[in-house]
Amino acid sequence: MKGWDGLVSSALLGTDRRPAHFEELPEHIQERLGDGGLLDAAALATVYKRAGRKPLRELEPIPAAPGEDRPLPRPVATRRLAAMLGGFQTSALGEWLRAADARGWGVPPEHLPALADYARHRAEYRPLVIAAAGRRARWLADLNPEWRYLHAAVAESNDPEYWTHGNAVQRRTWLRTLRQQDPHAAREALAEVWPTESAATRADFLGLLTDGLSLQDEDFLESALDDRSREVRRSAARLLARIPGSKYGERMTERLHSHLVPSQGVLAVDLPKRLSQSMERDGIDSQNPEGIGKRAWWFLQIVANTPLSAMELAWLQTPVEGCAPDILQAGWTEAAIREGSAEWARALLQSEASTGDRSPAELLRLLPADEWARAVDVLRKTVDVTELVGGLPVPWPESLASMILDQLAKVGSNRAWARLASIAARAVPPDVLDHPITRESTGEEDTWRRRLVETLTFRREMYEELS
Amino acid sequence: MGLWDVEQVLGLAPDAASAKAGQGLARVEKWTEAGASDRAVWGLCQGSGKQPYQTAVDLSGPAYKCSCPSRKFPCKHALGLLLLNAAGEVRPADEVDWVKTWMDQRAARADQPERKPGEVADPIAAQQRASRRADRVSSGMAELKGWLDDQVRVGLGGFDQRAYTELSRLAARMVDAQAPGVAGAVRRAAGVVGRGHGWPGELLEELSLVHLIVSAHDRLADLPPSLADTVLSRIGWSTETARVLAEGEKVRDDWLVLGRVIEPDDRLTVRRVWLRGATTGRLGLILTFAAAGRPLDPLPARPGEYVPGTLSFYPGALPMRALLTQTDPRQPAPRPAGLTARQALASYVESLAADPWNERWPLVLQDVRPAAHGEGWALVDADGDGLELLPGWDAWKLLAVSAGDPITVAGEWNRAGLRPMTCWRDDRPVIL
Repeated sequence: MKGWDGLVSSALLGTDRRPAHFEELPEHIQERLGDGGLLDAAALATVYKRAGRKPLRELEPIPAAPGEDRPLPRPVATRRLAAMLGGFQTSALGEWLRAADARGWGVPPEHLPALADYARHRAEYRPLVIAAAGRRARWLADLNPEWRYLHAAVAESNDPEYWTHGNAVQRRTWLRTLRQQDPHAAREALAEVWPTESAATRADFLGLLTDGLSLQDEDFLESALDDRSREVRRSAARLLARIPGSKYGERMTERLHSHLVPSQGVLAVDLPKRLSQSMERDGIDSQNPEGIGKRAWWFLQIVANTPLSAMELAWLQTPVEGCAPDILQAGWTEAAIREGSAEWARALLQSEASTGDRSPAELLRLLPADEWARAVDVLRKTVDVTELVGGLPVPWPESLASMILDQLAKVGSNRAWARLASIAARAVPPDVLDHPITRESTGEEDTWRRRLVETLTFRREMYEELS
Repeated sequence: MGLWDVEQVLGLAPDAASAKAGQGLARVEKWTEAGASDRAVWGLCQGSGKQPYQTAVDLSGPAYKCSCPSRKFPCKHALGLLLLNAAGEVRPADEVDWVKTWMDQRAARADQPERKPGEVADPIAAQQRASRRADRVSSGMAELKGWLDDQVRVGLGGFDQRAYTELSRLAARMVDAQAPGVAGAVRRAAGVVGRGHGWPGELLEELSLVHLIVSAHDRLADLPPSLADTVLSRIGWSTETARVLAEGEKVRDDWLVLGRVIEPDDRLTVRRVWLRGATTGRLGLILTFAAAGRPLDPLPARPGEYVPGTLSFYPGALPMRALLTQTDPRQPAPRPAGLTARQALASYVESLAADPWNERWPLVLQDVRPAAHGEGWALVDADGDGLELLPGWDAWKLLAVSAGDPITVAGEWNRAGLRPMTCWRDDRPVIL
């Protein structure tokens, strides 16, 4: 404003040294000033300036996010979402998002910033938040660098630009998506850039080939066995071991046959005496962990990486000579997990075989879900039931969930059951949330029983609201 | 206040844990000898001790009494009892002795200050008090006037060294002179010193407005009565609630809750609730205070809802602050009509014409879209005119709701920028 700076400099230096002049001020102010002094003029000018404020111009509104919004669930459902984001029963958040997504509901957009922050350090929530954000995912990721992971949604557009010029997250998503659609093309794309990528990126991207793995990948993976990076070599060996009919499998089978011979009703084992170069190339680890000898360790790894088709289930009942049967059993456990064989898992569990470093739960989950309840009922005599069911994917099948809740209903509030209760609270499937235990009195005390009932009730209400 | 609904009761809880515990106690089997009269609800609740806790709630307050040792206020027992009552599960009964005694004591205490509006217990003593205060304020104003004139004569130039202490001392003097409003204005001026390049100009603005109060006080008798009221309230005279209710301008309407701003402080939490009449278009401000850490009274309605009732306005040239007497339950409201950025600024200018000291003004902007503006954000209307958002205000919720589409935003405007309170996408209000 005209004349204002003159007032400020008079005020700064003092009117004794620099008397104020008002001639430069706008006429309207001069008219009203009369014989007023500097402060009167300043007050008029201040209000004049404030009243004369103009709107901002030449602003560029952010382009709108393209696409449609999903309908919102009932307010009572979104209030529950807000409560979870506020710290109440937050562990059910993923379930809420999954259930809402499955039913075609959207998430009120005002909750997206809190969700995006929540998932920033919790990778398992990211796909859920990306789905919930819908058309806003990319839009918000562009505005806030901290939410860049939301870009994952974008790369699904298959634009090769993301592969050649994207950031690490975008490239990874692009490759993963392509692998799902066209495994061959994805491997080719990876092979093309392979020599120029860093060791960490090579190992990371190699892991993405797990999806859609086939014999076609064999040559590429064989060459990766000679990679400079130990991490990459390991990763390649793990992948080769999962390809049925691979040369890698043949090499392992050959090794097995030279160290294990079934004859006259016994398995005769001759532990390897040294680790050959070819064995090392195939990812056999030379360094034995504590509690197992070097040679037994090498043999265990050979068994673990030999295709199950080269071995026989009957061997589980066959006496062993030349090494502890535990070694073989641990190797078979590894092989069963690697190949996801329900048949071997069932046989190993039935024969109460040693599972080595693995938990019996990892074999249990290989069985069809409808066998879990029965298997747990048998195994619980020897294995802690909490350990068994703790490793199973959730939600549990109804039979198992009902069995566990029936059991918990019978044991009062004994503290020994607290962990099982807290696992069950999250693992019970929607159809069993109305179990009779939720209608029994839990007492005033804050016990595991009360928390279990609260969580089951909370989840039941959640599903009702989203239906 | 009559029957409380569950949500209102939960709004009273001091924290989430209390709300949860209260819900756990909202069951008939937890209580014995529970009953409700038209003014209170009470009951006995068995806790971990031998004696059950005696819990009672005065529904008019609400005020709470409970023999439990909890330092939470209200405690879970009081919340549980209110929730049970909200569910209609407490039967009407005659007040038992301990409840009756407590309620009567409260009523007796409440009766004392509740004189007839305008009536004073001891008119002569009150007049003496008032004239003593007027004298003090006048001498405070004179001191301030002298100080301001001195500063301008010798210059604010060397100010940054001594300014802060000197202004703080002056602010304290104004508190002594029973002019807390001026004290606040002086403190604000102190806060400007040395901040950024333009501080001398900012300081001159603030001091000139303090000067404007002082000179308006000099000619108080010559001012139109409503402006004189404004000057007095800026100096720090408060108008008694009873007088506002009795004599204040009354406007009856369905009041749309535009939003609320809560400013926590070390000692005092202040909440400003902005209202707009559905028929009259009048604006109103409900101020609520609570000691730090204590919960504020529940809102009369959620932002975006109507609360039917009468506003009694405080006197002044820009009647804005008011007391609300609710007449009917709150109800949903459609998305409000709003202004362009240019119209919004013009409405603020009108408020300045009535009250040149006015700092805050509620705005409803229609069809605005977010835009980047420097380090922060602005809202741009359909004409391409924009208003900046308050720097440092967390805009992510608003951005996520908009997704670049036009929305309606209600906010509190001050010179630094707009502080959005509520936004509407379609007809759904979102509290920001």
